[in-house]
Amino acid sequence: MRALLMRTCLADLAAPAVARAARGALERAGVQVLVPRRQTCCGQPAWSAGHPEQARAVARRTLRAFAGEDPVVVPSGSCAAMLVHGYPELFADDPEAGAARALASRTLELSQFLVRHDLSPGSGASGAVTYHDSCHMLRILGERDSPRAALAGVAGLELREMADTEVCCGFGGTFALSFPEVSGSLGEQKARNAAATGADELVACDLSCLLHIVGRARRVGVPLRARHLAEVLAA
Amino acid sequence: MPATETDALVARLIGQLERRRASGEGVTAAEAAAAAADRMMAWGAGRAVVPDDPWLVELGVPAALAASGVEVLTWPPTLSPRELLGLDGAPATCGVTVPAAAVAERGTLVLESGPGHGRALDVLGPFHLALLRASRVVDTLAEALAPRFRGRRPPSAVSLVSGPSRTSDIEKISTLGAHGALSEHVLIVVDA
Amino acid sequence: MRLRVRRTSGGTAPPPRVAYPETEALRERAREALQDDQLRGNLRAAAGSWAKGQAAVRERYPFAEMRAEARRIRTEDIRRLPELLDLLEERVRAAGGTVVRVADGEAACRYVVELARRRGARLLAKSKSMATEEIKLNEALEEAGLRVVETDLGEWILQLRGDHPSHIIAPAVHLNRDQIADLFRRHSGEEIPNDREALIAYARRRLREDFAAADIGVSGVNLAVAETGTLCVMENEGNVRLVTALPPVHVALLGMERVVADWEEAALFLELLPMAAINDDAATYVSLITGTRAPDEAGDGPTELHLVILDGGRSALRGTPFEEALHCIRCGACLYSCPMWRSVGGQAYGSPYSGPIGAVITPLLEGMRGERSSELPFFSSLCGACHQACPVGIPLHDLLVRARAAVDTPASRRARLAFRAWSILWRWPPTYRASVALARIGLAVMGRRGWVRRLPGPGAAWTDQRDLPSRWPPHP
Repeated sequence: MRALLMRTCLADLAAPAVARAARGALERAGVQVLVPRRQTCCGQPAWSAGHPEQARAVARRTLRAFAGEDPVVVPSGSCAAMLVHGYPELFADDPEAGAARALASRTLELSQFLVRHDLSPGSGASGAVTYHDSCHMLRILGERDSPRAALAGVAGLELREMADTEVCCGFGGTFALSFPEVSGSLGEQKARNAAATGADELVACDLSCLLHIVGRARRVGVPLRARHLAEVLAA
Repeated sequence: MPATETDALVARLIGQLERRRASGEGVTAAEAAAAAADRMMAWGAGRAVVPDDPWLVELGVPAALAASGVEVLTWPPTLSPRELLGLDGAPATCGVTVPAAAVAERGTLVLESGPGHGRALDVLGPFHLALLRASRVVDTLAEALAPRFRGRRPPSAVSLVSGPSRTSDIEKISTLGAHGALSEHVLIVVDA
Repeated sequence: MRLRVRRTSGGTAPPPRVAYPETEALRERAREALQDDQLRGNLRAAAGSWAKGQAAVRERYPFAEMRAEARRIRTEDIRRLPELLDLLEERVRAAGGTVVRVADGEAACRYVVELARRRGARLLAKSKSMATEEIKLNEALEEAGLRVVETDLGEWILQLRGDHPSHIIAPAVHLNRDQIADLFRRHSGEEIPNDREALIAYARRRLREDFAAADIGVSGVNLAVAETGTLCVMENEGNVRLVTALPPVHVALLGMERVVADWEEAALFLELLPMAAINDDAATYVSLITGTRAPDEAGDGPTELHLVILDGGRSALRGTPFEEALHCIRCGACLYSCPMWRSVGGQAYGSPYSGPIGAVITPLLEGMRGERSSELPFFSSLCGACHQACPVGIPLHDLLVRARAAVDTPASRRARLAFRAWSILWRWPPTYRASVALARIGLAVMGRRGWVRRLPGPGAAWTDQRDLPSRWPPHP
């Protein structure tokens, strides 16, 4: 089995370890991983902020970098949602509309890909974790079960559900910068809910949420560790 | 409609009326007038505004109410709006209605305005007593609307009433008795 | 008011662009609301009780099927809107009503004020209507020297306070019992206990005076049924019934998109709307009004019915990428479900329509002009909870993104410039890699101890509320 891996720009910027972990988890599960050299960003930051033209120029790069027939795996619910849900609209009136729809149809988020193909990276992670349902993963991809199934497949791991796990953490892309107080308040609530489970760490499929939640937790003095799902699966 | 089917609908309607914090009971035509007077006594209603409906007279409802000391006014009453609404020290009013239909699934009464049946009858005072023919009970709201109004102009006012007046405007807790009736009781005349 | 949204044959038309001034007012209002603990407690309680009831409703009824059917009907009826409105108008007239179509709120207010003057009216009794809030009818009537009384309990409370609604369905949801009791005591000079029954009994007694004395009753319309010319008005309290039964004149204000073709369709919405709004399968009262009191009717019922059909920027949305905003049935579910609304309440939005739907339609109905239009579409994390809550399946998060693209302010122009630079750098792998490498060096330098507490430039808004880990996984 072969797949193309999207590293995601946020991992490149703030946590290259997440992209490495995604690759490691896939390879341990027996997947031949190709990481297209010419990939950059899916374009979602500009798209969500209301700049479709600017987004399209960058998204076109992704469209071409991930051309072909191979499945595309994305270690981010939000980036995957952009490819799956955003691209068909972004390229609707574009000559590459067909390519965008094709890419959408062969893109899966990491845990979706593993669970749908019944693959296990055989993680040696242990302890208790709590899982945050990131919004685009949950409500655009409609994916509640795959990440939990992937975590359940790790023998030494216990999942402790937090209160309001399906409520937004308040990140929201540029929203975090335009309305930092409301964003911070929601992030704090999320951090407290996560900490209240007594789990060793917070796990999510989106690095953006995690950066926001742990950053807010540290600012307000809530002790909270966090790891991306890919890192747990690659452990 | 076979009797058993009507019985089932009536039973379902009574259950749903209770869910909506109203109440209902099945009575025979012979029992209806006494049941109406009993209910009026239990509420302590001093005045009843009743529709000008020969069926009610046939059942003996106005006469039974009057006999038990309730002031009976037939629609349209010659009262000012203030008096109708129970201001100026008027006695507690019970509006009597004859629903054109009822929805068993939802506990909803369908009231149609007409020459003898005012549109505000049931919301004038604190009490609402409906006399409903069991044969008029249908299962769903769709059955109570589309077939009635297809190909004809509906009455100028049709009111769907699903229990006593209530409001959730204070702390989102549903509390009875906003502007309409505080209590609603439905006498379902099973042999009508 | 002329909308500048371009009309096309459908599909994804290029978004409209209009300019307006820059402001941070919404951020400030939101910040203030966040600090109001009482408000947040009230909102949390309200949204929590809605969410609990909503979960039960969705379990008890075939909600998903009803939602899909509702979406299909709304799509079809908005497509047929001109034809349905013509039929509605014909049927209302045939039943003795007067129909007037108005282009904007000003024209609607003018019509009602002039009607009140012609009839020598002094007091108008109103039931709750968001459309009348939208056109600021009360202000217009009061300016004309007329007295207008809100008779929905929540709206009456707000009128006494000089306050504005914070929710489409539950306007006073931001207040608690103690606050309302204080208000009633001040208003009446009486000692009123702060239990709900006593507060409601007081309102009932006071407002009956107004029902009895009103010269004109004013209501909104939840739904109009074209085939018979019937206006559906839903409520729980009974005030709509009194307002539409006792005064000799009834004025009904209808947002032009709230029309269904027939009774089969109406039956679905009469159940779906209360399911989404109040977690029940029926409103306590539904008034179905067809024309004026019939010649053989006596005792009550208005002899005049004036149906005012408001465009107010709606027709211009048909055939644009925003058309689905017209599917809204004003249930308020998206408000309760929205983390932003739950954090700050509806009043911070500065529009009668708050929450996700308010953040979409306020700018659209205002023609993407004015301060609030420039801010509201951005006041969302695009979490999609609103779409999930919406009983007619409006993709509100998509509409918000489209609205953002349609906005043109000094701030958005600056942002677009920055994104243009970003776009040039990040569309090419070499410049992308260079910019990422530079950022990582900066992060390493600023975050030698594992965390950055203050970022420069545009990153400052990030560290305004959060630290930024420079190593991953982070160590708290």
